[in-house]
Amino acid sequence: MKIVFKIALGIIAAVGGFLDIGDLVFNTQAGALYGYDLLWAVLLGTLGIAVYAEMSGRVAAVSNRPVFDVIRMRMGFGMGLVALIASTVVNVLTVAAELGGLAIILQLLFDAEFSMFVVAAAFALVAIVALLPFGGIERLFGYGGLLMLVFVATAIHQGPDWGQVAHGFVPNLHDSKLYLYFVVGVFAAALMPYEVHFYSSGGVEEGWDESSLKENRLNAIVGYGLGGILAAALVVASGFLFHPLGIEPNDLGTVALPAQDAYGETGLLLALGGMLFCVGGAAVDSSFAASYNLAQFLGWEWGRYRGPEKAPRFTFSWLLFLSLAVLIVLSGINPVEITEYSVIFAVVALPLTYLPILMIAGDRSFMGEHANGPISAALGWLYLAVIAVLAIAAIPLLLATNGGGG
Amino acid sequence: MRRRGPGLATITAAVAAAIALALAGCGDLSREELNRGVESLSAIAAQGGLIANGVARDATKSTYTRVMAKTLGGEAEHEAEKLADAEPVPDVEEERHAAVRIAGELADLFSELQTFPGDEHHGAVVQEHMAEVKEQADAVVARLTGEPQ
Repeated sequence: MKIVFKIALGIIAAVGGFLDIGDLVFNTQAGALYGYDLLWAVLLGTLGIAVYAEMSGRVAAVSNRPVFDVIRMRMGFGMGLVALIASTVVNVLTVAAELGGLAIILQLLFDAEFSMFVVAAAFALVAIVALLPFGGIERLFGYGGLLMLVFVATAIHQGPDWGQVAHGFVPNLHDSKLYLYFVVGVFAAALMPYEVHFYSSGGVEEGWDESSLKENRLNAIVGYGLGGILAAALVVASGFLFHPLGIEPNDLGTVALPAQDAYGETGLLLALGGMLFCVGGAAVDSSFAASYNLAQFLGWEWGRYRGPEKAPRFTFSWLLFLSLAVLIVLSGINPVEITEYSVIFAVVALPLTYLPILMIAGDRSFMGEHANGPISAALGWLYLAVIAVLAIAAIPLLLATNGGGG
Repeated sequence: MRRRGPGLATITAAVAAAIALALAGCGDLSREELNRGVESLSAIAAQGGLIANGVARDATKSTYTRVMAKTLGGEAEHEAEKLADAEPVPDVEEERHAAVRIAGELADLFSELQTFPGDEHHGAVVQEHMAEVKEQADAVVARLTGEPQ
């Protein structure tokens, strides 16, 4: 009974912790510009993150090795260093985007100076990480993120043409560079590398072993799967309200408008609250991911569970990355723009993270009976092929569409 | 319904347009670019309409309205400055003027929302005006593209 309860808690945390500022921005813009046509990209991305999170969690549970340990082991120092630099740049940009997003949401709730909220948000994150145990941090943001269910309720309340919504899950391509840019953006926002960095390191933090494999599978498949419903709800709610009006959501605050339109002030507050927890959770995850990667690559002691005394370099690097992110946001760059760049650059770095996971998870000499079966292997290679194509297309599309500006 | 006179933002936009015209070189604002700018204004007006609707229904939070109005008003002003600074190709001069005026009106409406974020009556008035401004923007788009609204 205790294990069922633990699994249920893990799933709930995964659902609430699935979304970040990249999903909020890209999915809302995708709905506004193309109605329900990009729902298939949400589905594709959700399946992809479930497949690779399960794999990385399985490797962590069986070998006690998180992702960057595996990358260093499989790719060697040189290529590993390239992966580390690329991942760190993307992760720090992501932390900056999430932190900026937190400040915008706080501003929408309390209307004070943006820069003050950036600093306040960073201090609040430090306090939360200092005061709560690892599981507590995950649950705080995961359960808080469940407020995002208001978008599912909104989509249902709006009463869209469900036939058209269902049709959106069938892959379709438009003859437009901007559409392709959003395919890449929506897909990549679901598969941000920090998610697997954090997921596998979190497994080690929580002491996973082979007995945790069922928990890992359910968290990854059911948790991320249900999280995908939240992501799809953003597209539907935005597609229903914004698309017919020709609205181009360029601001994070616009994401909450469908919930306000459906449920008034209560809907608005639930939406802003859900966004706050999702973005806050992602800020913690991505900043931890940057420090996990560095520490694992350089062989330092790492982990929140060890505490600052036993893992001082890990703790210092975490504070350093968070401070860097604060400086980026305070430089005046729009957090939504940082988000778009971090998601698109992440696509380029994706193969460097996912290829080693796929190779090690399929290695029977390393994983024994827990190596990838035929379905996991087929899905893994299929997704790697998709990721490779998108990695090649991402930067040209970014340039051709003027960063999604059309 | 009370019609609003030109506000500070409208006057600012008009002055900016006049200065830009005086300093302008050859035409660097194409029909397509102007069209994109006016479409953006139409989108901002639609968004403003939704926000004003929240105020009119007493279904929003004042801080949210104020911050969103400030942001969107800033975007409208930025669009006005951009359009005013550019030298249009000769056959879209009239539409460019209309676009600058629309952007200025939008900035004024958002300024009103910022000042009265909790006033239902103002919300209803602004919502109505946002719809009118959106219609004007859509009409300019129709003229630029030659397509009916």
